[in-house]
Amino acid sequence: MEPDNELIANALNGSLHAWETLVRRYEGRVYNYSLRLTGNRDDALDLMQDVFLGVYRNLSRFRGESQFISWLFRIAHNKAVDLARRRHANPVKGQALPEDPDAWPESQSSGSQWPGSQTSDSGPQELAMAIESNVAIHRLLQALSPEQRLILELKVFQGMTFDEIAMMQEISANTAKTRFYAALKKLRALMEGHHELSPNR
Amino acid sequence: MSCHRTADIVADYFDARLSPPARLAVQQHVSTCTDCRAEVAALAPAHELLLSWQQQPVPEWDRSHGPAAHQPRQPLVRRRPRPTWGHVGRWLPLAASLVLSVAVLTQTRLDVSAQGWQLSFGTSAAERQLQQLDGYLAEQARVQQQENQQMLEAALQQFGDNTADTLVQMADWFEQQRALDIQRMEAGFQQMLDRDYQTVNSVQQLASYVQYQGDLP
Ligand SMILES: [Zn+2]
Repeated sequence: MEPDNELIANALNGSLHAWETLVRRYEGRVYNYSLRLTGNRDDALDLMQDVFLGVYRNLSRFRGESQFISWLFRIAHNKAVDLARRRHANPVKGQALPEDPDAWPESQSSGSQWPGSQTSDSGPQELAMAIESNVAIHRLLQALSPEQRLILELKVFQGMTFDEIAMMQEISANTAKTRFYAALKKLRALMEGHHELSPNR
Repeated sequence: MSCHRTADIVADYFDARLSPPARLAVQQHVSTCTDCRAEVAALAPAHELLLSWQQQPVPEWDRSHGPAAHQPRQPLVRRRPRPTWGHVGRWLPLAASLVLSVAVLTQTRLDVSAQGWQLSFGTSAAERQLQQLDGYLAEQARVQQQENQQMLEAALQQFGDNTADTLVQMADWFEQQRALDIQRMEAGFQQMLDRDYQTVNSVQQLASYVQYQGDLP
């Protein structure tokens, strides 16, 4: 397997093959990350495409000092926050749901803060995440702050060490651990408010 | 909760990348500290829920989108007929620094909305962000003015006599400088978009980029 740095160098020299190899190596992570955030296939594809476009544009600035994955997720996080902000400022259908998950309408199981992700005729079956736990995870993550979402993403889903996260976010490893702990506590509290997500229903 | 290590212990406890010796130490602490044991037990369902994510396959998509959307520019001289001396003046890279300076001085704002572009002038609520950007733009303008000066001096030396031929050569040369200039501004703008989304609301640079880009044939 060609190392990332080799693929990056070749991609910068104009090799489309090297670029696509690099993309294929990471697209699964980015797509599932996007899916956790947006809750539907189309928005997740849009976000993923946006992320890789940003990666491509900045590729020459990647110095190889950090892991490629943490560099990539810095871009991904910025794109996600940017998208959420745009959606929030300019809601498509004005269906943005309140932060407080207790206020989530019981009947609306496709609820999210991504108004573009839902139209009046798209039910939960269109979430492209028919799996119950995926929908639940998406909904709970929505209720966290971007910072809390990011720490859980990097730690649990991307499997980075606290030291790697600390380096990427320019914080101490202790701060990273404290954030992780707070995010997990928040998540647990949110689960309490949702009986269907409680482990002992 | 009286144990002061709980945050640390919980984070380590759920850390899949923890080294075996560190894991042993954490387990020892949890087995003797009731605070941490209770907290670990309480948070385990949240961690398990996250781990229950079912990885989804990536649908087919256009992976060459990045390279396709971001082709390097062809040099302008090759793309368009040789310019006449008459409007070379407009293409002077000097114009770029002028646009930048004007944007700094008037605090040009360009807002992008569903209704389209909107240019506005003067200060606004986002002044704090604007000030940051002003610093950046002022520096850019300063550097560019220096470069322009050096370039003009070099040009005057290189094309000492004013025959028609050398004028055309000089026009070409300025064209190339302008193409480089645009590339540089475009790169700067895209980096801002990608890396520094917070300043995108105060896009003076976008404004000047759009104005400058508008001059393109
Ligand atoms: Zn303890």
